[in-house]
Amino acid sequence: MKRLLKMLPSLLRVGFAENIAYRAEMLIWVLATTMPFVMMVLWRSVAEHFPIVGGMGQTLGPLQMTHYFLAVFVVRQVVSAWAAWEMNFEIRQGTLSMRLLKPLSPLISYAVNGLTGLPLRLVVALPVLLIFFLLGGLRDGAEYRLFFLLPLALLGGWLIVLFAHMSIGSLAVFTGSSIRIMEVWMAAFFVFSGYLFPLDLFPDWLASIGDVLPFRYQLGFPVQLLTLSLRMEDALILLGKQWLWVVALGSLTGLLWRKGVRRFEAFGG
Amino acid sequence: MIEVENLKKYYSVFRREPGLKNSLKALFRRHTTEVKAVDGLSFHISEGKRVGFLGPNGAGKTTTLKMLSGLLYPSGGKVLVDGHLPHKRETSFLKKIILVMGQKQQLLWDLPPLETLELNRAIYEVPMPVFRKRLGELTELLGIGPQLRTPTRQLSLGERMKCELAAGLIHGPKLLFLDEPTIGLDVSMQQTIREFIRSYNEREGATLILTSHNMDDVEALCPRILVIDKGRLLFDGSVAELVAQVKPEKRIGLRFEGSSLPENLEAYGRVISAGAGEAILQLGLGEVSEVLGQLLTRFAIKDLTVENPPLEEVMSELFSKHALTRNEEAAEFS
Amino acid sequence: MSGVLRLLGASMWRYFKLLGIQLKASLLLSMQYRADFFIDAVISLFWAATAIAPLWVVYGDKVQGKIPGWSLGEAMLVVGCFVFLQTVLDGAIQPSLQTVVEHIRKGTLDFVLLKPADAQFLVSTARFQPWKASSFLASLVIFAVAFARLGFWPSLGNWAQGALLLLLAVVLLYSLWIWVVSAAFIVVKVDNLTFLLSSVFDIGRWPSSVFRGILRWVFTFVIPTALMTTFPAKALLGVLSWAELGLAVVCTVIFAVVSRWVWLRSIRRYTSASS
Repeated sequence: MKRLLKMLPSLLRVGFAENIAYRAEMLIWVLATTMPFVMMVLWRSVAEHFPIVGGMGQTLGPLQMTHYFLAVFVVRQVVSAWAAWEMNFEIRQGTLSMRLLKPLSPLISYAVNGLTGLPLRLVVALPVLLIFFLLGGLRDGAEYRLFFLLPLALLGGWLIVLFAHMSIGSLAVFTGSSIRIMEVWMAAFFVFSGYLFPLDLFPDWLASIGDVLPFRYQLGFPVQLLTLSLRMEDALILLGKQWLWVVALGSLTGLLWRKGVRRFEAFGG
Repeated sequence: MIEVENLKKYYSVFRREPGLKNSLKALFRRHTTEVKAVDGLSFHISEGKRVGFLGPNGAGKTTTLKMLSGLLYPSGGKVLVDGHLPHKRETSFLKKIILVMGQKQQLLWDLPPLETLELNRAIYEVPMPVFRKRLGELTELLGIGPQLRTPTRQLSLGERMKCELAAGLIHGPKLLFLDEPTIGLDVSMQQTIREFIRSYNEREGATLILTSHNMDDVEALCPRILVIDKGRLLFDGSVAELVAQVKPEKRIGLRFEGSSLPENLEAYGRVISAGAGEAILQLGLGEVSEVLGQLLTRFAIKDLTVENPPLEEVMSELFSKHALTRNEEAAEFS
Repeated sequence: MSGVLRLLGASMWRYFKLLGIQLKASLLLSMQYRADFFIDAVISLFWAATAIAPLWVVYGDKVQGKIPGWSLGEAMLVVGCFVFLQTVLDGAIQPSLQTVVEHIRKGTLDFVLLKPADAQFLVSTARFQPWKASSFLASLVIFAVAFARLGFWPSLGNWAQGALLLLLAVVLLYSLWIWVVSAAFIVVKVDNLTFLLSSVFDIGRWPSSVFRGILRWVFTFVIPTALMTTFPAKALLGVLSWAELGLAVVCTVIFAVVSRWVWLRSIRRYTSASS
């Protein structure tokens, strides 16, 4: 751990430099994550004509819908990872061997690489966040202390995404390519995370399925905090569940990675 | 430094037959066959030595190298590298070694190589003063001052290999595994790389193991060679011993006065090539002095050279002999 | 006259055969990844579900809302058209886009340009992902469910109109794609252009009536997603006016002609620029 802390500044600096070199790609990727805006148009149009009631009895009018999807966009920029694609590529090319021969766990270098992309994504996300607050109209008398939970919830969300990426990335050793599995994960993420619609509006039986899956803790939960649409006690329970998922997926990552490396050692790259 | 006893690596691989029908079938069932990539290798290498692995494609050179560096888990036998079991990849072990592969790179593609060096400094925990000193030496020896500050993607293949070596050596490894380090490089760049590798070995006393298709690499760098074919050790010794054992012959290059050749040249030895006033003869080791004497007294000779047959030919003869004996073995069993 | 026709026929036949060869090569390539075969079918179902899910929530018990002017069944038809076109995009258009981007980056496009066949054709048919065809089934299922909800089946004429409009939509999508490829000649690093194209196309998920004012105009004439998904759905419902049909045809022809022109220009630019 002490070793790692000593290395970290250099790792972060070089990782950030690499991200700067890829800034054009990054920008296009950010521009391409427009789904929240596509959804915003739909839900605004619906909310204009029909009264929609949220989970706390609040009205979800066009303004609240705008809030919601701007928050979705911002949170998505924070809780993003690339590790699955990176690992998939390196395993296929055999360049994973180069990483394995360094006295630093490849998992750590993937995590650091992911972290170093954040500042650039924030360049796009922060103006959107500014608009979010400038729009005003976050509910009167809402529980503003929810904002204090946000950093922890964002960290938890990011770790869930990262571990999921790493688990799926490790699978590439067994299947040759794990891009497809990533797609399944992404599709489920779309439906169950609150990416396409506020989770409160889910039919109850589906909501109960969504409750036991990790996806809402990735995105929907931080979004709910940001839009102040939770009660404090519910928020704390959700935070606890979120970190249970962090631990569970972290252990899964460790397991799959070790198995993956053992197989890589047996078959070579 | 390196002890290898009866080392083995077997893989099972999928067989894929061509054609649409067969690949449809393969969707549901796959055939596997066992491939013996390395099949009972034993050798010892002591510290500071330069050793070359030679062999045709698929002989098991790279597989052996990967087992020595800890990337592959052996199917059987024993490997001990400087007191470590390589496949454990302990930090202390990884800090002693480096694997450079001509076809795979560690340099970050879109950043200047200096960034990769800086990254390696942190990862290998090289103290700053040591880093600066080594960086200075490597930059000077390899002549890569400006290249270190140019994005890798803009470098030529040769410059990239030099920077790759710098990135690999910045932590001062005492054991170098080089897999085809000169692949794709032009002749003068090959020479530069070779000279650098040799000087590193001599200066630092580092042990060096090299695989290459390029016989010149091996001849120039490695006093000792291990010839591997089909996962087995065919020969262990020096280049001169190899030639003496496999093809105990000499090549005599002759240049005559004028542009015509004597008529009965075949009488003196096997004619390998003949041109205007020039010829190369091949002679058995024992005949050389006698035939040379005859030639010099009978003809007006301007110039004369005596050389070993090219290593390529020695090798191909060795492998064809090996294949022959294997076939005979197989015939006995059937 | 008949000579010209025969010549045209012969060259069409030649390109038809070429298409067959390219398709077969892609099929063989896909065969190598057997896990994909099974997983792609599952994935296409998942993605179809993600396309339907928002509608389902909008019209569901909790919200009891509506997209102005569209019942659930009608809106599902739009999504059905969307899924259909996305299949074309993912299965036939994106893979070849990736191939071109790769060619441009590695500088191997020259080999394609040297082949004795139309370069646009070769590039467009370079790579298919046959497994993606499984999501055609998903779009058919969506159509079936939609009409079951609506309680009627379109007349033969409406089927024909719908099919025609979907065909026009494929041409539109293809033309947009040619623009993106042409952009790849100018911008050097375009790995993510594929992302961009499909995220723009995402707008086609909803009936165009969700857009107001300038946006509706933009999504009809600039990025014609309304023509691609809303119009075919209207045709199937039998509510597409002749004027709208005419508009779709005219727009498609214009897009197609312009895209061919853009392609020829960028090829010329490319060949004159590279030494």
